[in-house]
Amino acid sequence: MPANQMTDTTQHRPATGRRRASPWGWGVLLSALLVASIVAAICFGAADIRPADVFASVAAHLGLGDSPLSVLRDGIVWELRLPRVLTAAAVGAGLALSGAVMQALTRNPLADPYLLGLSSGASLGAVSVLLLGLGVLLPIAAFVGALAALLATLLLAGASGVLTPTRTVLAGVAVSALAAALTSFVIFWSAQGDSFREILNWLLGSLSGSDWTTVAIAGTAVLVIGVPVLFSGRLLDAFAFGDTTAAALGVNVAATRWTLLAVTALLTGAMVSVSGSIGFIGLVLPHAVRLLTGARHRLLLPLVALTGAIVLIWADTVARTLFDPRELPVGIVTAIVGAPVFAALLARRSTR
Amino acid sequence: MSRRPHALLSLAVVAVALTGCSASTAPASSPATSSTPSVPVTIDNCGFELTVERPAERILTIKSSTTEMLLALGLGDRIIGTAFPDGPVPDQWAVEAADIPVISDFAPAQEAVLDLEPDFIYAGWESNLKSDTAGERDALASLGIGSYVSPSACKEPGYKPEKLTFDLVFDEIREAGTVFGAEDAAEELVAEQQGALEALSPSTDGLTALWYSSGTDTPYVGAGIGAPQMMLDAAGLTNVAADVNDTWASLGWESIIDANPDVIVLVDASWNTAASKIEMLTANPVTAQLDAVAERRFITVPFAAGEAGVRNVEAVASILDQLAALDAR
Amino acid sequence: MSAGSIGLALRGVRMSLGGRSIIDGVDLTAPGGSVTALVGPNGAGKTTLLRGVAGLLPLSAGSVRFDRDDLLQLGRRARARLVAVVEQELSAESSLSVRDAVELGRTPHRPMLAASAGDDGAVVTEALATVGMDGFADRLFDSLSGGERQRVHLARALAQQPQLMLLDEPTNHLDIRAQLSTLALLRRMARNSVTVVAALHDLTLAATYADHVVVLADGRVVAAGSPGEVLTAPIIHDVYGVQATVLQHPGTGRPVIAFAPEEDS
Repeated sequence: MPANQMTDTTQHRPATGRRRASPWGWGVLLSALLVASIVAAICFGAADIRPADVFASVAAHLGLGDSPLSVLRDGIVWELRLPRVLTAAAVGAGLALSGAVMQALTRNPLADPYLLGLSSGASLGAVSVLLLGLGVLLPIAAFVGALAALLATLLLAGASGVLTPTRTVLAGVAVSALAAALTSFVIFWSAQGDSFREILNWLLGSLSGSDWTTVAIAGTAVLVIGVPVLFSGRLLDAFAFGDTTAAALGVNVAATRWTLLAVTALLTGAMVSVSGSIGFIGLVLPHAVRLLTGARHRLLLPLVALTGAIVLIWADTVARTLFDPRELPVGIVTAIVGAPVFAALLARRSTR
Repeated sequence: MSRRPHALLSLAVVAVALTGCSASTAPASSPATSSTPSVPVTIDNCGFELTVERPAERILTIKSSTTEMLLALGLGDRIIGTAFPDGPVPDQWAVEAADIPVISDFAPAQEAVLDLEPDFIYAGWESNLKSDTAGERDALASLGIGSYVSPSACKEPGYKPEKLTFDLVFDEIREAGTVFGAEDAAEELVAEQQGALEALSPSTDGLTALWYSSGTDTPYVGAGIGAPQMMLDAAGLTNVAADVNDTWASLGWESIIDANPDVIVLVDASWNTAASKIEMLTANPVTAQLDAVAERRFITVPFAAGEAGVRNVEAVASILDQLAALDAR
Repeated sequence: MSAGSIGLALRGVRMSLGGRSIIDGVDLTAPGGSVTALVGPNGAGKTTLLRGVAGLLPLSAGSVRFDRDDLLQLGRRARARLVAVVEQELSAESSLSVRDAVELGRTPHRPMLAASAGDDGAVVTEALATVGMDGFADRLFDSLSGGERQRVHLARALAQQPQLMLLDEPTNHLDIRAQLSTLALLRRMARNSVTVVAALHDLTLAATYADHVVVLADGRVVAAGSPGEVLTAPIIHDVYGVQATVLQHPGTGRPVIAFAPEEDS
């Protein structure tokens, strides 16, 4: 068809140069930042270890030379700091990615990875194990709790008719409230002495339990679930103007929505199982990255995952070093930083 | 936990009034001790002004430390109930304590407390006397129920001890003697404990120690100003968390591994046993490398002995005995 | 594609929503390469019918054929390459740029699970130029006025490169100049062999720009034909219950529907 002017009076302006940096530019920049963050973060800690020795220790474990550190200090680097930083990176990436997908699928800017009762379900599972002494590993219990909450949400939302996003979110609120009440009940009924401290870690979110097992759990989840989700950007973009428009563009709306919701719920469940429910990463980062790169999910998803990894690494570094030798649950740090940032993003949005 | 609605509180008050609460009108039977109480006496207890007009007769104790204080003062027959025990009392009081009903495994709520009709509540923590637990102290006073909190557990600035010492613990025993009308027994107890403490010979090997209470991800340890610090000092051990200006603190494993303590003092509680902590320390690849874990240099202290009270001197003696046994291996 | 394509043909279409019959046996033809206006009072079923044709709502009976294809037997993506839909009242907030919003129209032409965009730049640029929005490519959709948003949605539909274009009240919220230019664009598309079906409220505009007019009332076709045949005072009275005076435009000869104020005695 001819590129006619729609009206004669509309001024034809030459296409302006794209202000946006190229996708590759952002990707390369953030990937480099992520690697730099991992390298830098393992040099911070309560123990005073020279960065050169830290790197030599890591190199030794990778088969390059001998570690200059004592067995214990070598353990600090290889068994504490490195797995913790890598777990932070994986959890941050997973949560930010889940948040971006949830926000797109529900077209709700307040959606976060914990939307469908996931975090309260995971907390219930974890607290039950901690307090009732069930013979189950903590991450498994948290994961099962998250999945049970998700199933309960979907059943409740579907019980009275067609599953709609609104009904699903409302069902999630109800399931969250119930799981939170049951969690409080379990705590009230059986918390003794100072065991509430461990529970607090869970409820606030903490990476202090990180080891190579948590790296494996969170890392596998990001690779197996998160990476395929990165390719769903075009599908999510089609939802920009609602379900009907998406369907008119040839998208199978129901199948896409439920597949992606289930997949991100699995991803979130895996993250919560290793770290408790760390807030604000999945809520705030998609908004922040959207400001930088635009709302296209093809670009947004990989960049928000990288950003989530970087931000959580540094939030956790603050949590474990700011009050050295004491530790803060990292969820406190992300909330203290995240809440004002979110408010600023909202203010910016409303004045635009 | 939610706050008890006021309506419920009022109901409880009315109920007590209707059933003729005997707390304020309890017949004064003769005190069980030989000492002559110098009543009335007014004490500033954690900022609460407590006036004792006559020694309490029907005492509810909350937490083990308070039960054991009264047992040590020979006042066991005045305890009509106890709550929130941290573990069994030491053997010497076991028979006497067996008859004391435990009204709650945790901090009891107000109605359970009032049902017992005590004329006095002796609490180990300030949080035991709040509206969602046994009741606010003013409200209890208006019902004729006196209350006293272990002074070392006061949280308010000016009342919280800057650093707990055995002198403060002995003062606490004497003050308990005043409050409960057992001043002579208190003086005897202090003299006995002082003698026992002085008889101990602290370790001189310059060893460092970690006082490990609970927590697997972020260990909760005895820090620089509380009872654990006091007992480690008395035993001649250097607390690796001495620099942290608090009674207890959540530490990261990294700082503990960096400190590599020579011995680890494990708090033994029914809900978090010393054995479970040893298992965890041994299973974790990093902590297993700690000298104290590799050489199994563990010392066990019952939870109740870790709070300021009559068992601290004995706990120091036990620590030194266990240390000697470790060295003798 | 020849201008004589068969176009859209509906036979015995029935639709119901929530157990209530909305479309009650519609036969309808929209000849290829022409503009067909769908008119009728509120609640007549225009929106439902358009969605049924696009496969966005299920039919309970009937068939929808476009040229040689049974539209409803086609796969979702194949159908989306053939049929574009411009909906009414798209007030959705979106922080997409205008260019990205228009590029959504390329969705059915590209693999769904792809990380990269593919080169649709030329199609998108042309669609933006066609609706006169080429200066707005980098603006955020959120920051546009209602009329500008409507034109972006039109451009998105153009970028879909459809052979059948379904529009639901495309002139809503537009000032008169934008209404005229939108309808002129539909006529240009029809000249380029696209079959256009638009639900319209304004009878004079329908008469001015449409080649065919279909009058829908209570889920049935009441009249169909050229504007002059269909937009008559008796039919308008039957369907809308109002007294209209149908004049003839001195230049085009097409009907102009005029009303006198009702007497409020």
